[in-house]
Amino acid sequence: MDVAELLVSSPAVVVDDVSMTYSVISSEQRADIPKDIFGRALTRIRHRRPTVAVDALHRMSLIAQHGECIGVIGRNGSGKSTLMRLISGQESPTTGSVLATSTPIALGVSAALVPDMSGEANVMLGCLAMGLGRAEIDAKFSSIVELSALGKAIHLPMKSYSSGMASRLRFAIAAAVDPEILILDEALNTGDAEFGERTRARMTELREQAGCVFLVSHSMSSIRDLATRVIWLDKGEMLHDGDTERVVTLYEKFIWYLRRDDQASAEKIRRAARREMTRVEVTERAAGRRRWK
Amino acid sequence: MSQYDPLVPAPTPTPVNIRLLQRVGSRPKFLDYLVTLWDYRHFVYYDSRARVMSGNSQDRLGGAWLLLTPLLNGAVYYLIFGILLGTGRGIENFISYLIIGLFLFQYSTRSISTSARSMISNRNVLQAFRFPRATLPIAVNVREALSSVPTLIVMLLLIILIPPVEVISVKWLFLILVVGLQSLFHLGISLIMARVVGFVPDVAHLLGFGLRAWLYFSAVFFSVDRFADNPWIMAMMNANPMFIVLDIARDCLIYDTWPSMVRWLTLCTWALASLSVGIVFFWRAEERYGRG
Repeated sequence: MDVAELLVSSPAVVVDDVSMTYSVISSEQRADIPKDIFGRALTRIRHRRPTVAVDALHRMSLIAQHGECIGVIGRNGSGKSTLMRLISGQESPTTGSVLATSTPIALGVSAALVPDMSGEANVMLGCLAMGLGRAEIDAKFSSIVELSALGKAIHLPMKSYSSGMASRLRFAIAAAVDPEILILDEALNTGDAEFGERTRARMTELREQAGCVFLVSHSMSSIRDLATRVIWLDKGEMLHDGDTERVVTLYEKFIWYLRRDDQASAEKIRRAARREMTRVEVTERAAGRRRWK
Repeated sequence: MSQYDPLVPAPTPTPVNIRLLQRVGSRPKFLDYLVTLWDYRHFVYYDSRARVMSGNSQDRLGGAWLLLTPLLNGAVYYLIFGILLGTGRGIENFISYLIIGLFLFQYSTRSISTSARSMISNRNVLQAFRFPRATLPIAVNVREALSSVPTLIVMLLLIILIPPVEVISVKWLFLILVVGLQSLFHLGISLIMARVVGFVPDVAHLLGFGLRAWLYFSAVFFSVDRFADNPWIMAMMNANPMFIVLDIARDCLIYDTWPSMVRWLTLCTWALASLSVGIVFFWRAEERYGRG
């Protein structure tokens, strides 16, 4: 315990009792919505549209240290991207809070820019929006353009780009900063072979510079290679948080059972993972009121 | 779920040193916010300049519409109010009177209505990057200020060219001051509207009516003298910041008189009050723009 206490003394990222519930509009007919036209109009105005609450993430806590590369794995819809959006501050959690030493940067997830402006102008604007200074941008400009591999198309308005070109440019812009806390989504690593090679190179560079990395990936081989610790999310719940080899092994077994449609065995693994995991409950070291709430 | 599984171990309380940590995406303290805004001045400038160029690119005549809109408006108002209804009777140099009103009012209208939608139209940029959100409405205002320079020059040329010819005097320099105060005033209103419309987009529809009513109420094409015997309307007119802007501008440009000190003081108060209320009001919702 004492050793653990020393280790967590000043972490890079603390996710404290965070949960996320979206309320989304549903097209499903519900009993509590009046059928007549006036009742409907009234519910609309009172902002009670037919919504349902979706629990994207159940309450979870985690502490990330400097120097860690945390792999995040799970099936589609398990809450990986939600957790990453919460960590990077793009959304705020329904309960709990995310604390970090500096703002974590998510790499080029949806940096759609201004379609009417040229690629060049978008590079400038994006860099300025990320808080880079004029001198820094001048120094990096050519390498951004090079990474985007757009060639002369950089002078054309962004609305004329193919979706592949646009995402290349977004990645190149987002990758221009060297963040201390970095969130990488390997689903990004698409595009043609030539660009894939460059992205990989730049990602490696960024990962090596960053103090703390969250790596979202479906590729167990890259998780095994890179992650020092792995978090397994399933249906919005944190099933495990621990040693890479152990979690990946459990996950692979789980997927194997699911492929064979053996729900009972898969469920057994889920339960085993849950029991094995050491949960944390974040408390402030200096006793007193939690200031950040 | 896990809560019901008796075999799941209870969480270990883990003490954390939060001194070096800050809440992700939290809004900075007000003064820090102002400092960050200053740090992002290049962003503001670049954004506004780039959009001045791409702003009218959809239209064939491009930037010419900045001039054509108030001119055509002026022609319509001149026909209806000046000739048909005769509201301009008794106003010395009615055409210039009308032109000053329309050109200056259009500048505020454009700034307010474009920046009101800035939190909606820039949702992509808001979600992609973390930067002080107030930079966007400010950038819109800077852009409108930049593109108002040529339009105001045309306004002055029209005043000089259309008979009765006006003499250029030192008082014309006061136009810069009054337009400056006007810009600060509508920047504050822009920030307020940007927050309101950002969360309740429906208000954007009402805003159009509101601005139009304001235009009619600001003595753009009639003289306030017709209300001289109604102290209530006169008091409201004298407090209306946009009317004061137009009044000062007309005094300086066409009537060659010194605007009264009361007018200047009222306008300064409006500008400062609107700007400070606007920026605080906008900053208080800083964390929530561009979500959901």
